[in-house]
Amino acid sequence: MKNLWIIMPVLLMSLGTYAQDSLSTYSRQAAQNNISLKPGDSRFMLRGYYHTGLDAVTSEGETDYNFAGGTIAPILMYKQSDRLFFEAEFEGAFEDGEFEWGLEYADVAYVLNNYMTVRAGKFLLPFGTFMEKLHPAWINRLSTRPLGFGHDGIAPTTDVGVELRGAFHLGDVKLNYQAYVINGPQLKDGSEEPDEAGMLMFGYMADNNNDKAVGGRLGFFPFSSSALEIGLSALSGKVGDKGSRFADVRANLYAIDFSLVKNLSFMKSMVDIKGQYNYSQIGNANYKVPEDTTDLFYDFTNTSNSYYAQVSIRPSFVSNEFISNLELVGRYSSMDTPEGSLWEQSPTQLAIGLNYWIDWRTVIKLGYQTTDGLGDHDSPEPITQDMFYIHWAMGF
Amino acid sequence: MKKLSVITSIILMVGIIGYVSSCAPSAKITAKTGAQIWGENCIRCHNPASPSTFSDVQWDVATLHMQIRANLTPEEATKVKEFLQAANN
Ligand code: HEC
Repeated sequence: MKNLWIIMPVLLMSLGTYAQDSLSTYSRQAAQNNISLKPGDSRFMLRGYYHTGLDAVTSEGETDYNFAGGTIAPILMYKQSDRLFFEAEFEGAFEDGEFEWGLEYADVAYVLNNYMTVRAGKFLLPFGTFMEKLHPAWINRLSTRPLGFGHDGIAPTTDVGVELRGAFHLGDVKLNYQAYVINGPQLKDGSEEPDEAGMLMFGYMADNNNDKAVGGRLGFFPFSSSALEIGLSALSGKVGDKGSRFADVRANLYAIDFSLVKNLSFMKSMVDIKGQYNYSQIGNANYKVPEDTTDLFYDFTNTSNSYYAQVSIRPSFVSNEFISNLELVGRYSSMDTPEGSLWEQSPTQLAIGLNYWIDWRTVIKLGYQTTDGLGDHDSPEPITQDMFYIHWAMGF
Repeated sequence: MKKLSVITSIILMVGIIGYVSSCAPSAKITAKTGAQIWGENCIRCHNPASPSTFSDVQWDVATLHMQIRANLTPEEATKVKEFLQAANN
């Protein structure tokens, strides 16, 4: 018995040398190369997205044609271990003829356990789904954002802070949650831009008061297939500058989001329905009447809302390749900003598009969009703006 | 009195165990394959990523990115990763 223990390893070793000897020099070289190419634990990836195209924008009888393509978004990702992950997106764009870099997000995530991941840094806020999950040019099926998102929008974009997020199943049902503490949005008090008094600013790095804003989102998948998701989001915090008469002004923001992605086998198509409703309520405050020397003030009920609903359909399962790459999309959106404010407006927008997918993240988008009721106090008569575009968007 | 607290703690423990196990995914969920999760989940925001897009190492990074961004459970993300790594060549 004891002998066997001695013989076995010797036998195995000799087998090993035999196997090695039988390897040709070529395959030994290949094995050597393989070892040197063995990936390490820390893994880096560079990605991003870009879009370019032609826009034709008509308002008040005049059409402007413009080639667009001055923005680029490189993204870097770094996985240090199965738990530790870093992501950052930079946004380069021409602003008044000068090229400038901005930091869209940069955050570190640590997977604590199966149900919890903590993130810290500047991140896309999980307020609804559009900004966090759908806005990149190769994901958004239209080239524009719905009313209420982006420049002069009422929905928050990014902020700095910490966040806890996770997902788990309860039987067939899946839940996901995100809860965060951030520096928070800031109130425009009208001292710099009198026409925008009472608006919120999002995405700023520094805090203007010591009150941290808190918020979160709860997402709910009622079916085991994950086809349907309904989400509820909220964000609340003081928004006025510390020590100013706006110091106690608080903003409460809410959103409801909806997503249904389903295979309609009788049409050999995928249908995708998405929507989000945003509501913003900002505490009352008195703002100075612009260009008035007698210290006159005005106020208004500072509530806004916006929503969009989008339907897209792609005949992914028809045998003709050209047709299976086509996609039809329609979106309706609407926004109401406060009555009595200098940024009061109630536009509605209809956008339709025809897309051709070259691969899963490269698309040519042909679109038309008409927006009614655009305006601010500089143009008392609300205007209509029409836009045609052809864009090429790609994720890389 | 002591008995009562023992009984309540037992009831509590049974309750908690019952609750936690009811939190567990159903057999239908745990039986899902990586390919199935990819087909159902990776189409919700963008087109499903073709396996041939990336190398094994790149999938390792991208699926952790998606686990975090798209709120997948680690189990779902691992299954999708293994599917993509097996299907990319
Ligand atoms: C909740 C929405 C959502 C779901 C579901 C989703 N993705 Fe993504 N995915 C995104 C977003 C948003 C980006 C772009 C990230 C960015 O630009 O910041 C992205 C980017 C990617 C990329 C490009 C590389 C990267 O990591 O950025 C790959 C590959 C990808 N997703 C694969 C997948 C796979 C595989 C699944 C299924 C497990 C999946 N996605 C599910 C939203 C989603």
